[in-house]
Amino acid sequence: MTGNIAILGYGLSTLGPGIGIGLIFAAYLNGVARQPEARGMLQSIAILGFALTEALAIFGLLLAFIL
Amino acid sequence: MNEPGQLPKPSAGPPDPDAGHARLEEAHMWNVVSYLISGPVMCGGLGWILDRWWGIRFFVPAGILAGMFMSLYLVWFRYVKQQTPEETL
Amino acid sequence: MILHALPSLATAGGDGYQTPTTADFYQPLWNDGPFAITRPAVVLMLSVGLLAWWLIVSTRQAAIVPGKRQWVTEGLYGFIRNGVARDIIGTKDFLRFVPLLFSMFMLILVNNLFGVIPPVQYPTMSRIGIPIALTLVVYVVYHYIGIKRVGLGAYFKNLVPAGLPGWIFLPILLLEIITFFITRPLTLALRLFGNMFAGHLLLLVFITGGEYMLLHGSFGLKLAGVGAYAMAFLLTIFEILIEFLQAWVFTLLAATYIAGSLADEH
Repeated sequence: MTGNIAILGYGLSTLGPGIGIGLIFAAYLNGVARQPEARGMLQSIAILGFALTEALAIFGLLLAFIL
Repeated sequence: MNEPGQLPKPSAGPPDPDAGHARLEEAHMWNVVSYLISGPVMCGGLGWILDRWWGIRFFVPAGILAGMFMSLYLVWFRYVKQQTPEETL
Repeated sequence: MILHALPSLATAGGDGYQTPTTADFYQPLWNDGPFAITRPAVVLMLSVGLLAWWLIVSTRQAAIVPGKRQWVTEGLYGFIRNGVARDIIGTKDFLRFVPLLFSMFMLILVNNLFGVIPPVQYPTMSRIGIPIALTLVVYVVYHYIGIKRVGLGAYFKNLVPAGLPGWIFLPILLLEIITFFITRPLTLALRLFGNMFAGHLLLLVFITGGEYMLLHGSFGLKLAGVGAYAMAFLLTIFEILIEFLQAWVFTLLAATYIAGSLADEH
């Protein structure tokens, strides 16, 4: 089999951010469901967590293309 | 959003960066992803140009990291810091 | 780089099975080369004609109590007008943009659904040129609105959020320019293209692989071929959902960018 092992690496690296983002938004949904007035405060924290976790996925994508 | 019983919005404070978007937070997510992609790409591209000019291979990963830091800082600045002191929509 | 690796992913079992490649998507009908009339071009023109015919026929003699066709069209129109345009752009000036958003939504939806309807079965959005063309339309619209509203210099100055420490202003401005002018439209087009392309490729793999296994395989592979066909059926249903979703997300983000250009505080 021939191919590019960077793609395998990228595939493996999407596991972590996938689970992480799922956990973040699960917590956000739980929080908003319990107390809808807290939506604004929780939203900024959720976006921050999403950005940090997504950064790793973007790293993987970029490096798979470059290397 | 002027329901009875809600506190009035504070009058001062930095403006909401995405004002005019009535309720959909998914828009914020895609904007965040755009920032996260373009930061490393831009700085990595600059680093690649510098690498070609100087012949070393150091600046591309450094550029990617610096760009990612810049993007995360901008996301934090736009979406987190500006929204914590006031009530959002 | 990734696309070069795709054709060389030869399967381990059975020589003679060709995995579907990106070349399978290029189907010229007349002339070859850059001015070819390809199948997606014909399908796109067909979809525009079909859409125009349907919309005219269903709203002719519009009655207060709608008939079946009018009800379907009104349902879709109300979905975009209320759910997307009015909620995102705001009640003041959303009516100007409803024709654009509705046309784009219907066009993308019909073309996506062509990916699973049997006589056609080719999602036209899986050729990158077509999402890019749609994105260019949105691009021109939202930049034009923003610049006409505040003028060119103030438009660029408003890109950077207020209150930044002074020394970091210039890199952030450059980052914002690149995001606003390059990355956002690029992600808009690539999201639609990637979903349609990958979905169609997946369906092709399962269907052609299932056919190969059923016809040329040993007994165990024949059973796996039946499983592959079942999987293709499930994936087709999933693909229909994805098609609706991608059409909706494209329209949503177009409305968001327009709303961002119209926002007062910017």
